[in-house]
Amino acid sequence: MDVKRYTKMAYDDFEDMVFGHSLYPVSTGFDLEIGAGYTSAEVNYAPRPSSGESKEKLVAEYEKITTDILQRMVQVGFPSVVLETEHVLQMTTNPEWGAEIAHAQKTIMEEYYDEYGIKCALRNTLADIRGGRESLDLRGDPYDVLMESFEQVASSGADMLSIESLGGKSVFDTAILHNDIPGILFSIGILGTLDVEFIWSEISRIAKKNNVIAAGDTDCSQANTAMFIAGGLLDRKLAHTMAIVARAISAPRSLAAYEAGAVGPGKDCGYENTIIKAITGVPISQEGKASTCAHSDLMGNLVMQCCDLWSNESVEYHGEFGGTSVQCWGETLSYDCSMLNTAIEAGYAKVFRDVLMVSDRYRDPQSFILAFDNAYRIGEAIVKDGNDIYLRSKNAAIEACDIVERGSKGQLELSKFEKASLANATKILHSLTDEKDVFIEEQMDKFKTEMDEFRPENYGY
Amino acid sequence: MIDINPQRTLVRYNVKVEQEMTPEEVAEKLFPVDEAIREVARAVFEGDEDEVVESLQNAIDKGKDPLSLINDALMVGMEIVSTLYDGNMLYLPDVIISAQAMIEGIEFCKERSGQEHEYKGKIVSYVVEGDIHDIGKKIVTVLLKAKGYEVIDLGKDVPVEEVIAAVKRENPIMLTGTALMTTTMSAFKDVNSRLLDSDINVPVVCGGGAVTQDFVSQYDLGLYCEEAADVPKIADAILKGFDVERLRKEFHKH
Ligand code: B12
Repeated sequence: MDVKRYTKMAYDDFEDMVFGHSLYPVSTGFDLEIGAGYTSAEVNYAPRPSSGESKEKLVAEYEKITTDILQRMVQVGFPSVVLETEHVLQMTTNPEWGAEIAHAQKTIMEEYYDEYGIKCALRNTLADIRGGRESLDLRGDPYDVLMESFEQVASSGADMLSIESLGGKSVFDTAILHNDIPGILFSIGILGTLDVEFIWSEISRIAKKNNVIAAGDTDCSQANTAMFIAGGLLDRKLAHTMAIVARAISAPRSLAAYEAGAVGPGKDCGYENTIIKAITGVPISQEGKASTCAHSDLMGNLVMQCCDLWSNESVEYHGEFGGTSVQCWGETLSYDCSMLNTAIEAGYAKVFRDVLMVSDRYRDPQSFILAFDNAYRIGEAIVKDGNDIYLRSKNAAIEACDIVERGSKGQLELSKFEKASLANATKILHSLTDEKDVFIEEQMDKFKTEMDEFRPENYGY
Repeated sequence: MIDINPQRTLVRYNVKVEQEMTPEEVAEKLFPVDEAIREVARAVFEGDEDEVVESLQNAIDKGKDPLSLINDALMVGMEIVSTLYDGNMLYLPDVIISAQAMIEGIEFCKERSGQEHEYKGKIVSYVVEGDIHDIGKKIVTVLLKAKGYEVIDLGKDVPVEEVIAAVKRENPIMLTGTALMTTTMSAFKDVNSRLLDSDINVPVVCGGGAVTQDFVSQYDLGLYCEEAADVPKIADAILKGFDVERLRKEFHKH
């Protein structure tokens, strides 16, 4: 496997990071550039459940969605847009469905581009169909279908390939509900990383062959699960100071996609993306205050700080008073981008970035660690041991805890619960071995005995 | 880089409403007085499985009846954990870890007495077909076990057929179903009609991201509930004889 590890930061200084600019912009689709000096909306949608009954109905649904979005973009005068089609299961399990839909969407996009010159591109995020009922089956038959599906969308119109991969998920689910910090580190930092590396080597190959973009992954299945269980300020399901551990470790995990050939833009729901941008310089997509249609979070403005694409995560296609849902959210996103782009044109990008960031900086420990200066510090902790997937994950977690600890001496207020959980996490992290192999063996043994559905062969063991 | 004092731009309500006492201090006041039982309850609170077994053994050595220890000691400890969780003083993993220690303890007591323990009632839980979002369900089942119910957990992505078979086999007091996707939740309706076809009137409590009260109200056995923590309360109400109509009055909030 051809993997290039990151052992130093792409940006020399966090002050250099800003929205709309990346060190390695991506050109794709119809004349679109990402991270090359402007931001664009990335509109994401889900078909109505009834449309999933047949391929024909689904194709028609996506045609309507595509036309609706582009029509609205043109009507309100927005220069660029990305459409993200997140597959419903049938589209990945039947590769020709996904392919036909990509082709149908791309055809409409081309018409709009030809007629109006609107810059646009299509991202396809495939469903990770490797999550079986009994246990994950990461390298068996579902893997082959998944890759076939990537081939087909790549050759039928998709400009960018993505996935929200599931590696390590079943171990993580158990670990997070038991406050098991070594388990969290193992599931995301080791198992997640190994799987990301494995699939992205192949996705990158497919992208290259078809001359499309291997965009990137997200740790939705683990770090976002933690974030959702953690919930709002008053929820007591998981300490938010525990959720930061999962988030910090998700960065070296999602990083593995870029080490295996992906070039960005990272997936919208990867809240770890600011860290990844700091390390790699690739453009990133983010979601926040304009993805409240999909979920609530505690950093709606802050995540905009360094975005290159700005997304709504997902909205079901249906009517609203202001048009269809995709038109309403597409318009909201594009107005946000228009504001960011104006700040860039006027020379106020950094001031604007700071305002976005500071408005949520102290809202929660989870936002605090992702503020671009802190995200950068976590990045440094990762690349320090960039060649060791265990140490870099552990470093990231420790650094996140230290950042919050330091923050709590200043403006970041923590509850007693959060303080206790932070102290506990820090203590456990420091007690862990420095030896990757020792750690892996220990955790493999533990989960093999304690978890019936754990299958080491999913990770090449 | 700009920085501000956030006092005027946001409120950390979790810090603002925080209790003065630590959970350990509150628990200390709630533990039973009988020393032997107190140790078991404390071990459950601390979620220490070895400690639970050890303290149970000590209590048995002091003449306590193993089977009675389940309700008089293990459940008492767990009740304290639940009370503190309901009172926003503990986090969910604390409950899960304690519940596991308690379950371990129940097994030990059953073994020691050679008799079966009478649970408060039996409940079947599952995630609908096509859906693998199962963390919510895991939470629901733990909270039910924590309140003394026996849970038959069918897992995720469970076909309607299997749910019906399990209900017929287990004869539960209620069924809990989880669905997180609009595309999968229609399976609740099929379960409802298949149960009615077989004249089974067991309440089907439905929850999870995509599910709404309006949707659940469309089928006869359906009861909607948002918060996992309310599920044991529903089970308690069923034991008190509430039918679906009364349950809806009590638990439908919208
Ligand atoms: C984490 C997550 C995942 C994880 C799941 C991990 C796991 N083991 O559960 C993974 C990565 C596997 C995943 C996969 C997918 N996901 Co997903 N996922 C989420 C996410 C971000 C959070 C869900 C979560 O864990 N919440 C935390 C838990 C604790 O909450 P909960 O399950 O709702 O449970 C609580 C309550 O609802 C309640 N409860 C639960 N069950 C019950 C039962 C009863 C009886 C009661 C009373 C209460 C109750 O108690 C719990 C505690 O409070 C949601 C976003 C969202 N807004 O929900 C999307 C979301 C549910 N996923 C979505 C999608 C589309 C998918 C995929 C299809 C993506 C893809 N293309 O691959 C796949 C589906 C695979 C499949 N076949 O199921 C969509 C669904 C859209 C729709 N059509 O409705 C959502 C809404 C995201 C979005 N906005 O697009 N996902």
